[in-house]
Order: sequence, then structure tokens, then C-alpha cells
Amino acid sequence: MSLLELVRLAISRLGTSRVRSFLTMLGIIIGVASVVALVSVGQGASTGITNRISSLGTNLLTINAGATFSGGVRSAAGSATTLTLDDAAAIGEVSGVAAVSPELSTSAFVVAGDLNTTTTVLGTTQDYPTVRAYELWQGSFLTDTSVEQALRVAVLGATTAEDLGLDASSIGSEITVGGIPFEVVGILQTKGSTGFSSGDDQVLIPVSTLKRYFTGTASTGVRSIGVSVATAKQMETVKAEITAVLEERHGISSTESDDFSIADQTQLLSTATSIFGLLTVLLAGVASISLIVGGIGIMNIMLVSVRERTREIGIRKAIGARSRDILLQFMVEALVLSILGGVIGVLVGLVASALIGALAGWGFVFNPLTLVVATVFSLVVGVLFGVWPARQAAKLNPIAALRFE
Amino acid sequence: MRRPIIDLAGASRIYDLGRVQVPALVDASLRVDEGEFVAIIGPSGSGKSTLMNILGCLDRPTAGQYVLDGTPVEELDDDGLAFVRSRLIGFVFQSYNLLPRTSALENVATPLLYQGVPKRERLQRAQAALERMGLGDRMDHEPSELSGGQQQRVAIARALVTNPRLILADEPTGNLDSKTGEEVLELFHELNDQGVTIVLITHDSDVGVRAGRQVHVRDGRIAA
Repeated sequence: MSLLELVRLAISRLGTSRVRSFLTMLGIIIGVASVVALVSVGQGASTGITNRISSLGTNLLTINAGATFSGGVRSAAGSATTLTLDDAAAIGEVSGVAAVSPELSTSAFVVAGDLNTTTTVLGTTQDYPTVRAYELWQGSFLTDTSVEQALRVAVLGATTAEDLGLDASSIGSEITVGGIPFEVVGILQTKGSTGFSSGDDQVLIPVSTLKRYFTGTASTGVRSIGVSVATAKQMETVKAEITAVLEERHGISSTESDDFSIADQTQLLSTATSIFGLLTVLLAGVASISLIVGGIGIMNIMLVSVRERTREIGIRKAIGARSRDILLQFMVEALVLSILGGVIGVLVGLVASALIGALAGWGFVFNPLTLVVATVFSLVVGVLFGVWPARQAAKLNPIAALRFE
Repeated sequence: MRRPIIDLAGASRIYDLGRVQVPALVDASLRVDEGEFVAIIGPSGSGKSTLMNILGCLDRPTAGQYVLDGTPVEELDDDGLAFVRSRLIGFVFQSYNLLPRTSALENVATPLLYQGVPKRERLQRAQAALERMGLGDRMDHEPSELSGGQQQRVAIARALVTNPRLILADEPTGNLDSKTGEEVLELFHELNDQGVTIVLITHDSDVGVRAGRQVHVRDGRIAA
């Protein structure tokens, strides 16, 4: 008997009890669909988070000022102003560094006409958009001139601009920051929430201006320095170089602890990726349990079917079927159930993951490997749970089977 | 001299039930020649079913020899027995034993499936066999849509479709009213006239008397 004949026979036998066949497949359908959907959801979430982390700036190193450590008391990181504008300038000389933005912030009351808000005022330089991956929406950004001359110019985050009722026509208008008049030169494009803080609610002014009017010019300290590295490959070497430069400038020997710390974007990315990888495996594992339950459903129905069709098996044996023919007949029936269930399950799973992706906003992530794994898995389930009932059928004694009522 | 189809020599079948041994058939010898129509007659419990199982290669004798159409079968394994059933024997049962929810045509074609005959030829031969049984207009009907007599004729068509050396009929008229039973017996006689060797097993001497030769079975032994 050829495989084609067996499949044809199995389909016609399963077709005579459609409802039962469908209900049997349902277990596999649900199992495979949930594997496909959950893996897709895991990967979609992973991709979404990765994209958002990347939106913080590509190849970004953030150097934070270290804590002061006096009298055995360590204060919060960044409380010391060990990093200076000169440090930032020195880092700019390191090869592989594409852009450097020193950052120092305070909080201030901002007024534009009748509207006001309290927000972060960040002092920085013209390289800030490059380092932190911001796009300008209207006007222009801070320039080296405005930084050099400590001009009272401000670039607003999208949310801040909205809060203050400012739009494209407001470029050149005047606002007050902490009571001091500033000219609005630009408005940034919205970046969306990064999940950590809103990068859209802030007022950017030259770092020199911030020092002159708000924090005082006594020190040249900054709170953090953002560094954009030219290529991802250079991240490690640039990080090491910057560490060396800063240690030398700060007079720190290699045995002492640094008074600064360098946060690496790739660390954050790899952590997020591994967490979501784990989550995906976990979800797939949970979903495969339902596949196994589905397989047991198939085995149950096949066992009932063998018992019900004992007489049929006897007849088939009497008219010339070998044990092997009977074994294959029932195996193929189980396989047709599981594969058909697997295919329907994959389709349902793809539709479900497309829907979830659309609702969650990370789009449709399709992984062909999932299909292969789901199909192979349902095949394995079919063989695993089909073989025992099929052996029961093949082992039947034809005389006893013919006498069975 | 005609060729023997069945050559059973001193065959016994003893069922081993653990503590007791039940001899269902003892030292049975039987020869049936090509073209014969033999009735095996015996009351229930006489061992005629056991004899029929052995003749039909559904079972093996525990002692003695059985040569079917020149093939010694007592040493065959299960697959070997299946092969002999498939090629040499056509069965007709009391309760028809057609496959449920399967058309008459598919039922008749099924033995050919196990011979590996291609589908087209299978259906052609099945159709010819059904037409020979006068069922050319019932080919698409399932067993539940056919009368008892029609079902038995489908079963005979299924037995004939492989051109077997031997047709074994186990109480083929047992479930039929006397008129239909008569028609079925008439069919067997027609087939026998066409040269088909037939062994009919029955408890009814009225049925058996129509055969060319009667063999009586009693208490597991073949009476002379």
C-alpha cells in the first residue's frame, strides 16, 4: 500500500466522523497556535524594547560623575562634580569618538505668555542631538557660538513646547526660565517615552548659560557626559581609552576606585535581549504543554477508535491486510490529525500574533523557524501518541476481532 | 486426476487455556479438489468454526499438515498467512462483514488494495465483480443502504474480486430469509459451475445437501 493510498484512506475514514476529528485536532490546534503566537509575542516585545533602547542614542556611552566619598559616607552617584567641561573636551580628542555632549541640569519654572510649567533645564552643547538621537522639528539647535558666548537661547522638548502652547510660529518668541528671559530658537521632534524618563519634557540651553545664570560659574563641573562612538565595534576600545584618559586627568592610579562610571548602551541592550529570549523560551515551554495535552487527546481518540473498529480490523485482516498495513493505517490517521491540526494551528497562531502585534504596536514579527518547529513538533506528537493505539490495532487476532461485537 | 486445493492431513487444534487443554479439532483430514463444492456440516460447538479458521489461514493447526494449493501453510508466519489469505482465499461470512460507511464499490475493491493493485484497475475489477453479482446499480450504496441479500452479494463480489483459488463461506445464508438464502445458494452453484472451488460451512443439512459433497463434523472430528 502506498503512502498516498494510506493518506487517502485515513482522510476518508476521518471524514466519516468530522466533528470528532475536529475536536481531536482542536488540542493540537490550540497547542501549536499558542506556541506560534507566544513566541511571536515574545520576539515582538523584544524587538520593540530593543528599538526603544536604541532610540536613546546609537553607540552611546554615558559617563556619570562619581560619588563623593568623605568620612566614610558615600553620597549618591553624580553628587560630586568630578567631571568637567575640560574632561569633555579631552574625551572629544579620543579616536573613535564621534560626538560628546556634557550635560548639567537643574529644575526651573518656565513661563510663556499665560502658560507655565516646571521642568528640567538641561545645559549642554551643540552635539547633544547627535549623541542622544534627537531630531529637530522646528528652528535650529544650539550652536557653538551660543555655547561659547553663553547666549540666552532655548530649545524646547516636544512635550514642553506643547505645555507652553508653543508651535512652529513661536520660533524667535520669548519665554522666561527661572525668571530670566530666553529666546526660543528651536523645538525638538517627539521621541516617545523611553520607558525610563520622558526625553520630550525638557528645556535645552547652552551649558555655559546654565552655569552663568543658575548654578554659578565657580566650578566647571558637569553631571554627566554623553559620548557617541563612531561604530559599534569600537565601543569597548573607546570605553577603555576614555577610562584611561579620565584616570590620568583625575590623577587616579589603577588600584584606586574611579570617581566616575561609564554606562554602556550595549550592556543594557544585551540584558534586555537575554531577558526577552528567556521569556520567549518560557512562553514556548508553557505552550508546548498544551501540545502534549493535545497529543494525549489524539491517543485517547485513537484508542477508542481501535476498540470501536475492532471488527473492521478483523475484516481487513481476513481479506489480506498484514499487521503492518493495519499499523500504518492507524498511524497515518493519527499523523493526518496532528499535521492537519498543526497546519491550522500555525495559521491561527499567525493571525493571532499579527493581531496582538498590531494592538501592541510592535508590528508583525514572523519567524519561519517557529513554523518549522511547530510542524515538526506536531509531527512528533502524532507519531508519539499514535504509535501505541496503532500497535494495539495491528496486534489484534483476526479471529477474535471478527467475533467482536 | 484433479489437483487438490485443500489437503489437510491429521490436523489438530488444541486451545491451551493454561490449566486445561481444549481440543477443538482432532486429527482432521480433508481433501478438496479444484472445482469441487463441499459442504462442511456440523452442529454448533462441533469444531467446524475451528476447521474453517484453519482452512481460511486465520489460524494454524497445532499438529498435522495443511497444504493449500500447493503451499504448506502450517509453518507460515503472520505475514505469510496474510499473503495466502490475500491471494488464495475469498471469505464470505454469515454477518456479511462489510466495512461500514464505505460504498459497495470500495468494499469490493479493498482486498485489491492489500495486493497493491493500482486504483484505476482496482475500481474496474470491483465494478466487474459487482456487475457479475447483479449489483451494477448499487455500487455507490453503503452497506446500511442495502438489504441483507444485497449485502451478502456484495460480500461474495468482494470474495471473488481477487480470483481466489478457494471461496470459504461460513454460514452464508444464516442471516437471510429462506427465499434470499436460496438465491445466494443459487449464486454459489453458478460460480461453482464456472469452475470456482467452494467450501461452505453450515449447521443446516438442508443447505449442505445441495453441495456436491458433504463432510460432517462432530465433537472435533471429521466423520467419515
